[in-house]
Amino acid sequence: TTCLLLPLENSSSFLSRTSFYNNCWFFPSMYCLSLYNQIRFVKSALWYHGYGRPELYRLPSDGSAGSRELLLAFSWLLHRLSLLEQLLARNRVKTGDETSVCTCEDDLPNSQTGTTEIAPEYGLEDRVDVRYLQWLNGRLRFQWRSLHAQHQEQCKLLHKIHLFTSGSHMDQTLGHFSVTETDLVRQPENYKQLLQLLELETMQLEAFLEWKQLEPVYWQWMVMNQTDFEGIFSQKSTILFPLPFFPLQVKTKEEELQKEEFSATARKIQESVELKLLNLTHLCAPKKTQLHGSCRLVFRSKHPASKMAVSATEVIRELQMREASLERELKQLQEECRQRLDEIAEGLDGVICISP
Amino acid sequence: MSIVTVQLGQCGNQIGHEVFNAICSDVHGTHGLCSKKENESYCDACKERFFCEEESEVPVARAVLVDMEPKVISQTLSMAARSGYWKYDDRSHFCQKQGSGNNWANGYSVHGPRHKEVIMNLVQKEAEKCDRLGGFFTIMSMAGGTGSGLGAYVTQCLRDAFPTSFILNHVIWPYGTGEIIVQNYNSVLTLSHLYQSSDALLVHENDVIHKICAQLMNIKQISFRDVNQVIAHQLGSVFQPTYTAEGGLHYSRNPLGDLMETLVPHPEFKMLGLRNIPQMPENSLAYSTFSWPGLIKHLRQMLIANAKMEEGIDWQVRPPRLGLHPLSHSANKPLQFNTSIANLVILRGKDMHSVDLGSFRDPSLYTSWLNPQDAFNVWKTPRAFNKYEKSASLVSNSQFLLKPLDNVVGKAWNMFASKAYIHQYTKFGIEEEDFLDSFTALEQVISSYTIL
Repeated sequence: TTCLLLPLENSSSFLSRTSFYNNCWFFPSMYCLSLYNQIRFVKSALWYHGYGRPELYRLPSDGSAGSRELLLAFSWLLHRLSLLEQLLARNRVKTGDETSVCTCEDDLPNSQTGTTEIAPEYGLEDRVDVRYLQWLNGRLRFQWRSLHAQHQEQCKLLHKIHLFTSGSHMDQTLGHFSVTETDLVRQPENYKQLLQLLELETMQLEAFLEWKQLEPVYWQWMVMNQTDFEGIFSQKSTILFPLPFFPLQVKTKEEELQKEEFSATARKIQESVELKLLNLTHLCAPKKTQLHGSCRLVFRSKHPASKMAVSATEVIRELQMREASLERELKQLQEECRQRLDEIAEGLDGVICISP
Repeated sequence: MSIVTVQLGQCGNQIGHEVFNAICSDVHGTHGLCSKKENESYCDACKERFFCEEESEVPVARAVLVDMEPKVISQTLSMAARSGYWKYDDRSHFCQKQGSGNNWANGYSVHGPRHKEVIMNLVQKEAEKCDRLGGFFTIMSMAGGTGSGLGAYVTQCLRDAFPTSFILNHVIWPYGTGEIIVQNYNSVLTLSHLYQSSDALLVHENDVIHKICAQLMNIKQISFRDVNQVIAHQLGSVFQPTYTAEGGLHYSRNPLGDLMETLVPHPEFKMLGLRNIPQMPENSLAYSTFSWPGLIKHLRQMLIANAKMEEGIDWQVRPPRLGLHPLSHSANKPLQFNTSIANLVILRGKDMHSVDLGSFRDPSLYTSWLNPQDAFNVWKTPRAFNKYEKSASLVSNSQFLLKPLDNVVGKAWNMFASKAYIHQYTKFGIEEEDFLDSFTALEQVISSYTIL
């Protein structure tokens, strides 16, 4: 009953469960985890992505119940994260060398702007020695450093390949081989494997198209079952599904309102909606200077950087400006804190407070 | 992944040379006792870590040699070249005509800044030769002038220039009855400065190694070389390739990172000690056999009774019983018991897969805020090390150094209180305030380790 991927299993023409696990970016080698850890992991991953329905987090950790909640959560993921599209993009067979570039201000991938930062309530026990947290933090720091070294090595090796194969590629704009191509040149028999991968990808894409055609049926079925999810609307953190839920919500709200308060409330709502819309347009506004996503790596030795390229000096200048503004903000906040401390200290008898 | 070794001062250069020697003779030995394939990947991993093989017949050590006197460096270079198995890069060393006169301040404030650019250029060149720079391993003495003063300065420069690389400092703790009058000052200054810029300090006490030479190795007249060879053997037993993950298929490519992540993630606890078993003269090895349970039993008792070698272990020391005094856990424990933060056991040789290490996973061995899952790790390889059919090493982040540290700080403080020899430091720009900062930093370390 704890299988999160129930709908996937049913649509057998899609990915097999095994290959789904293996390709999944948010389930690190799921098969190595114990059931308890799997459940913990699923809960925290959902929490991370902003899933707020408490019933899910109250599910027992032995996996004895919860398939309905999981189905709901899965549907939410499917809709909210564009899960399938992300997986397809992630597992695309790459014949060229790619790197991820992100010059967004908040450094968060677009899809994750909805993630929560609050720690889950069920997680840590009441008394945790701060030294343990420092220890864990230190481990993360070290792991990050190891990753960094690994990434630098990758860059170094890529550079070697690009340098040594320059002039070999038929495509003049590229000029050099990618890792996959170099591998094929060295071990031509590997093309069979590549072909297989490409065929598999085609199959997945076809299955995806099929799913897209059938998707409305799935959502309708979900909505038909929605009565089973008791109390779904009584929660603060209402889960927003595509269309069908919306009218219902508005209706209940409307009934709650008393007539004399109606206009005032309506105005308030109107204002907050406008504010949110403003926020949204700001968030969705195309930002010309900001790159985000995967880019094909092409080695250029002497040519001047093309228009799309990220210029280091530009980024540095931008970062410096940002640093300056942050520093100003910090100073201002410190000043405010100092003032508040002074105010508090004035209210205390017999205490001398020396401001930092 | 590769480690760049930085050998500083007379002591650092001599030990560094012995380390490369030990590693090389282990790789070239015919004692591997494992499959040919295993041996090959072991040797490859080792070479990637410590040597580069560009354009030369013998492997070239990834090392930078620094000293203020030319004598030791030229000896070291020629000895390595004569071995025929490996050598140093001819251009990867730096020396001057005059030493630091055992004055920490001279090394730190004068020689360091003056020669920073040249030294860091050498380091940069070595670093660029690595496909993947894993980090730095610096070797130096704690009490002298060049190694300790310049070493502390160079470590700081390394941290600035390579903020994301791992830095492991190997320091030699001076003899309790050392001949340098200001050795405690130097030690306090070195330790406090390293504690800031290094990720971990791996400590070898001269007194302990001396005892090992006398009692385990049966050496009558102990030379520096004998001491250094024991140290090199112990270091090799840690840094030669191992499988660091359970069921791993490849030798770890990130030895420094794996070591740090296992033992010193907490920035307040960076002191590492090293024990190994067995340790004996080479000619006795042929007549000895060992069983894993016996070795592990000894190693564990060496840990909890804080014995530095397998002879003279106090078998009366027992871990405190957990649960009796949950709130005053540290206050009520037996005095001699050595509480650990984290331990790493490294097993090399025959049948190491069958070894039961349950006794190291006992929660009572560790501080109350870490569980054995976090605090204990094992690295393994079936490949035997340096002619030992079976051998085990233990790297431990524990209270083992509390007493020596307290001693050094106490002695230095007594001298400082009477202002003895301070002028020798102030004349090179190390003021009384710097001393006070160093004392404070080390008192903090002592207190952190005491209240585990």
